[in-house]
Amino acid sequence: MSLLNQTGSVIAMNVRSIPQRLWMSLATVGSIALVVAVLLGFLALANGFNQTLKGSGAPDVAIVLRDGAASELNSVVSREQIDLLGQGPGVRAAPDGRPLISAELVLIVDGIKKSTGTKANMPLRGIGPNGLLVRPQAKITQGRMFTPGSNEIVVGAGLLREFSGFELGKTLRFGAQTWKVVGVFEAPGTVFESELWADAPVIQSLFKRGSTFQTARVGLTSPAAMPAFVAYVKKEQRLQLKAQSEQTYFADQAERSGLIIKYFGWPLGIIMAIGALAGALNTMYASVSSRAAEIATLRVIGFSGFSAFIGTMVEALVLSALGALVGVGICALGFNGLSASTLGSGFTQVAFRLQIGPDIITQAVTLALIIGLIGGIFPGLRASQQRPLLALAT
Amino acid sequence: MTDFDLVWKNLFRKPLRTILLTVSIFMAFLIFGILTSLNVALDRATGSGSVSNRLVVSNKINFTQSMPYAYINRVAAIPGVTAVTYQNWFGAYYQDQRASRFVGFAVDPETYMAIFHDDARLTDAERQAFLTERTGVIVGKSLADRYGWKVGQTIPISSNIYSQANGRRSWDMKISGIFTGAKPTDPTTAIYFHYSYINETITFNRDQVGTITVVTASPDQNDQVAKAIDANFANSPAETSTVDEKTFSRAFLKQAGDLNFIVTMVVSAAFAAILMIVSTTLVSAMRERTKEIGVMKTLGFSSPRVLRMVLGEAVLLSSLGAVLGLGASAFILTGLSKSPVGSNFGDLSMSPVVALLGLALAVSLGLVTGAVPALSALRMSIIEALNRG
Repeated sequence: MSLLNQTGSVIAMNVRSIPQRLWMSLATVGSIALVVAVLLGFLALANGFNQTLKGSGAPDVAIVLRDGAASELNSVVSREQIDLLGQGPGVRAAPDGRPLISAELVLIVDGIKKSTGTKANMPLRGIGPNGLLVRPQAKITQGRMFTPGSNEIVVGAGLLREFSGFELGKTLRFGAQTWKVVGVFEAPGTVFESELWADAPVIQSLFKRGSTFQTARVGLTSPAAMPAFVAYVKKEQRLQLKAQSEQTYFADQAERSGLIIKYFGWPLGIIMAIGALAGALNTMYASVSSRAAEIATLRVIGFSGFSAFIGTMVEALVLSALGALVGVGICALGFNGLSASTLGSGFTQVAFRLQIGPDIITQAVTLALIIGLIGGIFPGLRASQQRPLLALAT
Repeated sequence: MTDFDLVWKNLFRKPLRTILLTVSIFMAFLIFGILTSLNVALDRATGSGSVSNRLVVSNKINFTQSMPYAYINRVAAIPGVTAVTYQNWFGAYYQDQRASRFVGFAVDPETYMAIFHDDARLTDAERQAFLTERTGVIVGKSLADRYGWKVGQTIPISSNIYSQANGRRSWDMKISGIFTGAKPTDPTTAIYFHYSYINETITFNRDQVGTITVVTASPDQNDQVAKAIDANFANSPAETSTVDEKTFSRAFLKQAGDLNFIVTMVVSAAFAAILMIVSTTLVSAMRERTKEIGVMKTLGFSSPRVLRMVLGEAVLLSSLGAVLGLGASAFILTGLSKSPVGSNFGDLSMSPVVALLGLALAVSLGLVTGAVPALSALRMSIIEALNRG
């Protein structure tokens, strides 16, 4: 019998004998599934948040902030600066023939976080007609867009999902002013979905912002026009602003914020994995000792120690692969697409959905298979080194 | 040989198996110890310094919106209010905007020190210096240690919000004192400086305050005072929202996410995993011993005594892992407290409550995992036991 045939039959024997150790094997599968589910839960949280930030930035839109401001909230841009930006190279023309610049301002208002029932920071963004042109993803899905010059608000679908207080048709009070929610917009997979939008001039006057804005979004003719525009803003002494592509701006935020969740998830996943590994080792040692007579018999009739090793190894890997499958299943059915929200770097809430993807599934499954591999090696070695006659004698 | 010796010997009859089980239990309690302590520390950090008769008044739209300076006197005049002070968030940083941001508030030193003297402890000389030096700043001990600041030194403090009329974004401030917290473990990573110094030099938002702290005559009057304050400013451009200090800081913390929920989920998953591992392994370990149990019963060991011994073994095993796991997490937490990130949380060390909770959990885990093998040992008749295996 060839080594290959030998190994094949031993593997089959091992796997078929799993039901004899049903409960311990199930415990191994279950504990590995929990490790995979916990790790995948954290990674899906980080992934969903990152994808939302990354999905928000366009490569051909420049975001311009005060030089040194880390977020829109701390930035100031004047009307004169906006006009100067329009003279930059590569600026696309809006349908009205003027430069496509969306001058915006952001302030924070309170909403109630549904999951905790506590107050949370919502961004109220003042935009003009160009606001929608630089965000082609956004579409009004219920009600209508606000009428320029009126106290009307449209609310993002993500914000509506996670927070209460801004339902369609509702009248709100900010200070002495009343506002009405007249529409809901969707901009799937972007941070904009977690915002409230209103007319910029109305916000300027009701919140006493004079004629100042906080940011400008500048539509360029193509992503290739970005470097020249960024250089223009840097060189123009009268501006004292900093331009960058919206894509870079959000990717940078994603990198900083996503790390926290990741650095929390991996250590926990690894600690749990070590716990599950100890369980897997126990199960596999029990498997080897319960099959001692069987392994010895095989050795006596000419099977190699190697086939005994591989048999045990494959059994461990099968258990861990089953565990990984169950763990991924729990995540796919239980967590994937689940809505969550956290404080983003703009000091306002970002609503996002937990998102599992091929790369993070690979990471979690790899961890499970490593548990199986280590959990199989040592018991496998014991199986291959067992002295046949001694085992049969006892 | 006592029963305990017998239990101990049984536990280590297969040392490798017991060591592996201990590792599993150890890891679960490590997760429990660290996560629960972090949660407790965060909870305490928001509650520390919260005195039950202190209220926070902020703009009703959101606490980042300011209120007119004139509100301070109007709040102070409301019946039941015994003291008032105010603070403005400054977006403070030292040299590097990204790497060295910290909590910085522009305050009115006299009224601020009158209310918060316990949270920012200074010597009398330092306090006097802070009150009289217009450009004075008091800095927390952790920050002073981190940047090597000394009393009397002048440091540039920048703002990511405000700028001066001459375009500068930083203010030169002279360190009047270095404060410590009420307890040595309280976080001291903030700075406080004169509102008047900043207010005269900023280019916008002049004569505005961020939040107003109110001390009431007694906690029973909190609700009534809060309602009176908010009613006073109703229908004005800047309406207010008044809540007690604890509610205010808890709500802020919850903005990050529901940490309680995440901790509960992870700890439950870890325990579900070891519960499965330990109970199934113990069942199979006990099955190997069926014959022995028969012998013990033949020798006159009563069934309840056998039950106690099997349960004892399970409890001993889980306690062993728990004590080691809780010990290791206490050790790690102490190390974490001293790191720059950890120092922001204040006292991270494991509280006796968490330790006791952990031990209680260990005993319950032992009883649950030992239940099935113990019951089967209890019910087993001698004949059946000796015939099997």
